[in-house]
Amino acid sequence: MTQSSSYRPAAEVSSAPPAPATPPVAISAEPLDIVGLLAGAHHPGAGAVVLFSGEVRNSNKGLAVNFLEYEAYIPLATKLIDEIVEEAHAKWQLHIAIAQHRIGKVAVGDTAVVVITASAHRSEAYAANRYIIDRIKHEAPIWKCEHYADGSQEWGNNCNCHTVTGDISKHIYETQ
Amino acid sequence: MKIHVYAKLKDYFQPEFELMETIGNTDELRAVLVKMNGGAGELLSSCRFAVEEGFIDKDFKLKAHDTVVIIPPSSGG
Repeated sequence: MTQSSSYRPAAEVSSAPPAPATPPVAISAEPLDIVGLLAGAHHPGAGAVVLFSGEVRNSNKGLAVNFLEYEAYIPLATKLIDEIVEEAHAKWQLHIAIAQHRIGKVAVGDTAVVVITASAHRSEAYAANRYIIDRIKHEAPIWKCEHYADGSQEWGNNCNCHTVTGDISKHIYETQ
Repeated sequence: MKIHVYAKLKDYFQPEFELMETIGNTDELRAVLVKMNGGAGELLSSCRFAVEEGFIDKDFKLKAHDTVVIIPPSSGG
């Protein structure tokens, strides 16, 4: 019988939790290895693994996009992402929580941000994943510049919660 | 006081520059920056400030040797 390289007979599958791996850095100037991250995101206690990949779209506001360029205030972005992931880990009792964001030039179709959550049941994995990506998008000091096919460029300005909350440090989901 | 700016603020200021004025808090800093470049006023009103890798509020007392990072609304993801 032909076996794929990832196949392991059931008897060989350990029920012990895997050894803790070094968590990926929160901010990466290198392409995000979502396949590799997912491969390391399995846990015997997890019946659900959710992966969100935020990818560069080929259009914005009706204009063709060539690529995006991300920049971050790296020390604070790293600290905030780590805190958000830790909070989600505790709140939903996750087995695994990973978040990684690109900086630099990111091509159309490439991953700009990845969030992986693993938990006993799917509801927690989905909820935690949504919580992590929403908070990263609103709170982490990361910015994207859209580079359009017509040669123009524009900095994104996604988070305008302050226009609703009246406080530049308060976001919509914090008042709900 | 050293100032670092990011993203769209770089359309109005150098990424890093120094201010020699006496500036006590973020409201005073914002006023100095608007005086330098009035076009940045609306954006500055929605920016947050950070010192030593932590956000600060308007009550934080700035010191001459601080490095202040000015943080426009996030647009990651």
